[in-house]
Amino acid sequence: MARITAQADKTWMSKAAFYAMLAPALILLMSTTYPFLSGIYTSLTNQKLYIPASKFVGLNNYINLFETPLFWNGLANTLTYAGAALAIQLPLGLAFAILLDVPGRLQSFFRSAVVLPLLVPPVVAGLIWKTMMHPQSGVLNWLLAQVGIEPLSWLTSPSTAMMSIILIDTWLFTPLATIILLAGLQSVSGEVVEAARIDGADAWQVIRYVKLPLLAPYLLLVALFRVSDSLKSLEIIYSTTKGGPLDATRTLHVMAYEEAYRWSSLGRAMTIVFVLWLVCYTISGALLAFWQKQEAKNRGL
Amino acid sequence: MLLRTLAQKLALALCYLAFAGFVLFPLVWIFMMSIKNFGDIIAYPPRFLFTPTLENYVEVLFGNEAQRAGGQVPDLLKFLMNSVIISGGAVLISALLGIPAAYALARRRDKTSDKLRFTFLSFRFAPELAVILPLYVIYTRIGLYDSYVGMILVHQLITLPLMILILASFFRDMPIEIEEAARIDGARIWTMLTRIVVPIARPGIASAMMIAFIFSWNNMIFGLVLAGGSTRPVTMGILQAMTFDQIKWGMMAASAMVSALPGMIAAVLFQKQITRGLTMGAVK
Repeated sequence: MARITAQADKTWMSKAAFYAMLAPALILLMSTTYPFLSGIYTSLTNQKLYIPASKFVGLNNYINLFETPLFWNGLANTLTYAGAALAIQLPLGLAFAILLDVPGRLQSFFRSAVVLPLLVPPVVAGLIWKTMMHPQSGVLNWLLAQVGIEPLSWLTSPSTAMMSIILIDTWLFTPLATIILLAGLQSVSGEVVEAARIDGADAWQVIRYVKLPLLAPYLLLVALFRVSDSLKSLEIIYSTTKGGPLDATRTLHVMAYEEAYRWSSLGRAMTIVFVLWLVCYTISGALLAFWQKQEAKNRGL
Repeated sequence: MLLRTLAQKLALALCYLAFAGFVLFPLVWIFMMSIKNFGDIIAYPPRFLFTPTLENYVEVLFGNEAQRAGGQVPDLLKFLMNSVIISGGAVLISALLGIPAAYALARRRDKTSDKLRFTFLSFRFAPELAVILPLYVIYTRIGLYDSYVGMILVHQLITLPLMILILASFFRDMPIEIEEAARIDGARIWTMLTRIVVPIARPGIASAMMIAFIFSWNNMIFGLVLAGGSTRPVTMGILQAMTFDQIKWGMMAASAMVSALPGMIAAVLFQKQITRGLTMGAVK
């Protein structure tokens, strides 16, 4: 017999009650549009951090910014970071999730262990890895030496710094990908899996042909979170290289911070932040729209 | 079965080993460093066996001999207190505002409700500096710079959307029958929320608050821009202390362990609730 469950719908709660309950939270969060808009205005001025007076300069900051090679270097670094984070963490997170999807005592221990990095402050993660990556006395180079690999200069050389930062980011945030994808794998109903088993599918085929196709919205969600977070990553870089060596890890967010606090040019800092904001919103918005489409399609199934 | 041969079993075991090593090694390593003395830390090749010591923890938490003699409180304790006040305050306010908001989103499902959920989600996508650099100017003007109130307010950007999203999916999964019955008995929505929903949802609310607390605690960038000497949170504090003095690795490791403590404790004691909360906030 089918159990009838009461479902919340439009009529369950009045519109007035709905808005009354949401209003305080909405008003508080929406009040941040004021600093945001004032920041956009600041990007059109030559405002300095410690001097109240400023002059309206129109789009001058933007024109100057686009003419600086350092900006294009920063944009390239930002996109490399986000692209690499996604390209590494999505498959790695999926591999971890598949390993953890198997029932067992060992797996349940690992399911606990995997969230640990996610709960470490990014700044602390940066410091931990910085000590391990020390070129002379770091444990990573010692480990490499044990398997006969030449020592790396990690964060201290322009050619390896970005790679090292991405490695730290991967350690810190792959767990997020893993737990989201694990939830996706486990949301596939037992009956579907059972049916496939009866048809003679082995464990691998169940993953490949039954679970993976249903995982699409989860993969998109991971992509959305990882890309949007890594485009604006600041704390890992700030606690390790601060943008160096030789601008190798200077992303737009780091550039903006430096512009404000090293050169006190608030106007120019806001110009960079606003360009970064546009990049974030274009990419996240596209992924979000794609995800909603997938969700709708899956719900329709 | 997948594991038909011994070779396959071995390969899988190696996968688990690599996975565990990658996830756990850095944490084990920094913990070991925090209980080593100076000689053991700088030894090369690195020492895996050594006599543990608590001297690094004593020094970061209670100060060195000179500081103790002078009755000074070491900076880390002040930073920890600041973080407790800021993150604790932020989570309490977020709970107060977030519980009704999440309940509304969960129990009235239409296009507006869906759109609002995405609005809350979208707070995560903006680069922090877009809001906090202009906020720095405003804060210094109205006297909120380097104040607990100012820090608690700005931390709502992290804690409030997070709590609303997690709680909305938690409330949605709650069977609606009890609320239906209460409504037939004539309970108004506000009474229902305080007398029925909140008591039933206590575990969900607790885990949402815990996750929000950890994410607020772990943040550094708000403190970097908006906190000065008197409200500097622990993440900002250890970073500042370490850049001036690169050599004291043992103290750095001990401070890192202490500042990562809330997350570590939560991960060990409440792993199931944390994982569930994090995925709920993200997925549903």
